[in-house]
Formats: sequence, structure tokens, C-alpha cells
Amino acid sequence: MKEGKIELIKDGARLSGRGFEELRPIKIEVGVLKRADGSCYFELGDNKAIAAVYGPREMHPRHFQNAKRAVVKYRYNMAPFSVDDRKRPGPDRRSQEISMVSRKALDPVILRELYPKTAIEVYVEVLQSDAGTRTAGINAASVALADAGIPMRDLVSSVAIGKIDGEVVLDLDAKEDNFGEADMPIAMVARTNTITLLQMDGRLKKEEFERGLKLAMNGCRKIYELQKAALVEKYSKNGNGA
Amino acid sequence: MGQEVIEDIRKDYVYDLIENGKRADGRGFLDFRDIVVERDLINKAEGSTRVQIGDTVVLVGVKVEPGTPFPDTPNKGVLMTNAELVPLASPEFESGPPGEDSIELARVVDRGIRGSETIDLEALCIEEGEKVWMVFIDIHTLDNDGNLVDAAALGAITSLLNIDIPYEQYGLTGKDTLHIRDTPVAVTVAEIRGNLLVDPNVAEESAATNKLTVISNVDGSISGLQKSGSTGLTEEMIVKMTEIGIEKAREIREKYLPKI
Amino acid sequence: MYKVVVPGDFISTEVNRAGEGTYVEDGNVYALKYGVVDDRGAIKVVALSGKYMPVNGDVVIGKISEISFPYWIVDIAAPYEARLRKSEFGRGENIDFGNMCEYLDIDDLIVAKVMNVDVMMRIDLALKNEFKMDGIGRLIEVSPTKVPRIIGRSGSMIKLLKDKCNCFIFVAKNGRIWIKGRSADMDIASQTVMKIANEAHTSGLTDRIAQFLDSYKSEKERDKVEE
Repeated sequence: MKEGKIELIKDGARLSGRGFEELRPIKIEVGVLKRADGSCYFELGDNKAIAAVYGPREMHPRHFQNAKRAVVKYRYNMAPFSVDDRKRPGPDRRSQEISMVSRKALDPVILRELYPKTAIEVYVEVLQSDAGTRTAGINAASVALADAGIPMRDLVSSVAIGKIDGEVVLDLDAKEDNFGEADMPIAMVARTNTITLLQMDGRLKKEEFERGLKLAMNGCRKIYELQKAALVEKYSKNGNGA
Repeated sequence: MGQEVIEDIRKDYVYDLIENGKRADGRGFLDFRDIVVERDLINKAEGSTRVQIGDTVVLVGVKVEPGTPFPDTPNKGVLMTNAELVPLASPEFESGPPGEDSIELARVVDRGIRGSETIDLEALCIEEGEKVWMVFIDIHTLDNDGNLVDAAALGAITSLLNIDIPYEQYGLTGKDTLHIRDTPVAVTVAEIRGNLLVDPNVAEESAATNKLTVISNVDGSISGLQKSGSTGLTEEMIVKMTEIGIEKAREIREKYLPKI
Repeated sequence: MYKVVVPGDFISTEVNRAGEGTYVEDGNVYALKYGVVDDRGAIKVVALSGKYMPVNGDVVIGKISEISFPYWIVDIAAPYEARLRKSEFGRGENIDFGNMCEYLDIDDLIVAKVMNVDVMMRIDLALKNEFKMDGIGRLIEVSPTKVPRIIGRSGSMIKLLKDKCNCFIFVAKNGRIWIKGRSADMDIASQTVMKIANEAHTSGLTDRIAQFLDSYKSEKERDKVEE
């Protein structure tokens, strides 16, 4: 996080014109890839992410198998052209950490015990990044898992809150993330209000944190409704379910 | 799902159809699947294109950044092409360092653009021996239903058109667009039991004995060739394949690319 | 149109009717899968995608992937491979390590029955009478979740297909479908199967398929007309 030299709130409004508790526009499409068992395209403002699910299928190499349950693999990857300065292709420490926390955000809802010794593979490609890519990836992955027919207790929804110019706001964009004071992504199981991912970067007062958490949870509920609507939409048309 | 399992019986099906002059999706041998080209979907990239050929989808992004020239070409910009066959795109693709297929894909696309001298690399020199513009072409596969090469090459050339060089972003003075002198188009011709067809899908690719990718230019010249496959091809066959490649490239160029 | 649900959706409070594709929590029935609700008997969620999970008694189409004495290893489009013991060919046969491939070779397709699935997910198969497919006909693959629709209520859909297309059609539990017949008949049969799979979530499907096939005359019928 760089020093807050840019004014992010002018005359009580965010630079984008959004309200403090307003999400960026969201677009969700289900079943966008032919080869994958399940897939989802997710746009959050300028973020564009696509998720594919393969499996459950045989786990390779075999010594990574778990005799009692499926192993969830999650690969978060950024396209080299997804950011202002070209990203070197391939995994780095950041993407490895994001892959891990994202997997753990989804693990609790998947009935992994039904598929011992297998792998459920989740691949997330970030095609364009504008802060909040991990949350976009989790939202896409959750829908793609459902689309693949994986038994799950619930969907998982994810969003970040942050602090800019002293205000706690929902869903930071890249400028707000770069020059803001804090960024806190969460993931939540909407039906049970259970948080499955929580990270924080920056500095928040306890009161701000608590308010932010509530705000983020509300954001997740809104996203959950959109995820659900996108899934229902896929089968609301005749002859589109291949 | 499980496509590889039924490959053999599907191969028989492909042969069976081809020998009767048919293809599974009803296309003629020299017909491409529907092509959709969408430009500038990624505003973080200087140029980007999503190309869809049938169910095959690739996204190509071009980034332009200042860097150091190679010592042997101190007054020339740098062109780098990279391809990622990400595991999202096919049950057969795996994570990890680029395998030979992604290296081949990147190199064939690169060769077409380099061989035709599409980019005026000398115009990309900022300060001889010190600083030049580097052009990165990144090919990202999203869904593989065959013929990634033609899709990637069309995405690459489309992305290179109308690029503003980002002087301001890097604190440099100047204003220029990327100079494009040609529009190379790749057409892959597959040979299946002596029959020639263009734009093979995954089933046809696995049934094909040979493939030849022909990259050709506005003036009908060839700027790249790549043969793959398990047997040899006769001279007659190769000539026929290149003729088909050049002719189909002309049609695609007319339909999807602007005049230079 | 059936009601589409996503995982976690509340379906009912009648927990004693909770069936496949659901789970019970806090006295409610919730959806465990993305699919459509069928509450004619037990409350079920019928998934519209997903992998085949073998169950004892299922008849499947498999492909020999490996020979590992005394087993053939068989790919059955499940997350697990299955195995077929050499004794399936009868005790009188003198099958040893060297000649197993003369009975069944890598890539051969077979029709087999799932005899046992153990806790380690080892799956044993038994050969069905007409087990060898010999590359005759066409094999198509759909999600195993669509198989009940392709068969239809008491086999109504599959009977319609066989009659109209004049083809041998065998629908295996693991979503692999074997079609044998004349070329044009196989074309229409495969097309229709894909149509059923794509529209499996809609109601009135049997009628629509009947309509779709109404104008089709199988090659045999056409021959008759020409005579």
C-alpha cells in the first residue's frame, strides 16, 4: 500500500461515484467452457476472471491421494497481460498464497468424503485485474463447482472491504487499493453466515474492523443472490444444458 | 468429459465420415468453423483480442514496455511471444513450466510475425544500445477444441493493429503507434488418409496423420511453415496444402483484418 | 419446467422425505447439488452434471487401459479405475501373463457389470454376455446424470428411439451409449440422444422428442417405400 497522497473521497463520494456500501457492477455466466466439467465467467468492475473445474478424477501423483476424501486443488493464475506492468508467466509466491487461501475458503462446503482418493481441480485464470481478483476467483470457482455437479452444502461468496481516506468502504478498486489505508477480503457461506476466508492488509481500528466485517458480509449476501440467479438462469432456457 | 477414452472409436467415426466426404459438424473440407474476433477486451493491455473458432477460444494480449535491446541488435526493438496452455482449457493440459506444445505454439506464431517483418522493429529504438520498446505477445488458451495455432495467430495480428506506444506511462516523451507492415494469417491444413481439410477440431486433430500450418502474407508470400505428424508428405501434397493455406488465409484476411 | 435449485437452497421441512441430492440440517431439507427438484416420491435433487459413481449391479461400458496380471484395468468414466479378473473368462482357459492381451487388449471396449465396490474404492467387474464391442457402431458419451432421461419412464424414451431410428442402442449407467445401425440412422439416433441430454431438465420431453422424430423415416423404411 502506497502513501495516501491521492484524494480518494471528494465531497463525500468515491472517485468512481460509487456509494460507500456499493459493489462494482457484476456479470456472471455459467458453463462458458466446453472442455471443463464446470465453468464460470465472473466480472467485478474491471476484473475479469474465469474458473474451470475438472473432476473428481484420479489424483496424480498417487502419493498425494487421501484415502478418506477428495483433495481439492486450486490454481490461481494471472494472465501476463492482466496488469499494467506485464506479469511474468507462471506461479509466484503471491499466486501460491492466494491459491491456498482460496482453496481453504471452498473446502468446508464440498462433500469431499464422497470421493476418497480423488482430486477436484479448480483452475482460475485472471484475465484482467483491478483489485479484488482473489474474491472474483472464489466467486467464479464456487459457481463452477456447482456447475460441475460437485455435492456442496452451500455456495461460497467473496468480497473485500477497505479503508480509504478514513472511511470504511465496500469492494476497493485498484486505485483505492493502491492508495488506501486497508484492504480486507473475506469469503462467506451465505446460508450459515460462516466466514471461510479472512485476510487483512493495512491498518484498521477495532471498531472499523467490526463495521467492515458486517459490510463485507452484506456484500457477500448480494453476490450470493447473483451467483444463484446465474445458475438458475442456465436451466431456465430450453436446450442449453449440455 | 472423458473425450480421450472414446478416441479410438471416434477416430473410426472421423475416418468413416471423411471417406464419405463428410465432417461430423456438417462442414465442407475447406470450411472453417464460425470465427468470432473481439478486440480490446483487456484494457490493461495495449492490444488484446479474443478469437473463437467453433468451440476453441484463445485470448491474446500484447503489452509494450521499455527494456534493454539484445547486444547484437542494439537499434532494434524486441519481440517476445509466449503461450500458456493453461489447465483450465483442456483436461489434457497440466500446470507447470511450458511444455513442448506451448513452446511450439508460441514459436510458430512468433515466426509468422517475425518472418513477414510485420513489426518495424527499428522504429522501436528509443536510445541505441540502451533502451528500446519490447513487444510481448501473450497467448492464453481458454478452451481447446482444436486448431489453437490459427486462432492464436489471428489473435496476435489483430492485437498488434492500432497500438499506441505508451510513452507517457513510462515517463518518456514521444507519441507513436506501432508500425504494422503486413497481416500474416495462419491456416492449418490437416491430412486424414489422403484427404485435406482445414481448421481441424480436437477429434480430427487426433485422427490426422499430418498437419501443416501455413502462415502467409498480404502479397501471398509465406512467412512461416510448421509440419507436424507421424509420417512423411509428398511434394505434391505439400504444394497442395500450401495452396489451400494461402487461399484460406486470403479469405480470412479479407473478412477479419483491415487493409494495411 | 422443474424447479432449479443450487447447493444450500432450502427445499422443505419434511425431513423424513429427504432423498438423494439433499441433506438435512436444523430440521430442514437443503439441496446438496445444483439440479432440479423431483418430489414425486422422496424429495430428490436430480443433478444435471457430474461424474459417474459406480454402484453394485450397474452395467457400464469400459475401456481396457492396462494389463496387470491377473487383472485387466478398465476405465469406466468414473473417478476410479475398475478391474476385471482373468477368471472372468472361465477356469478352463489357460490365461497367463503373456497371453492376456489375446483375450482383451489395451483400448478394447467392453460391456461389464459392477460386482463390488469396496471401501478403498476398488471396483470389480464381471463380463456381460455380449461384452466385446469390436469397434462396431458408434459410441457417444453424455453426463451419467442424463441416463434416466434417455431411458425414460419404464423405458418409454429408449423404446421410441430404437423404433424410430431402427438402431441397436445400449445405454450404459456410466453415460456411454453404444449405437449400431445404418449410417444415416446412427446420425439421427446420436442427434436425438444429444437433444435429450441437452433438454433433460425440461418437462414434456418425450412428446417433443416424438415430434422431432415424427418425420424421420429410417433407411429400412425408405427402402420399403422405394420397392
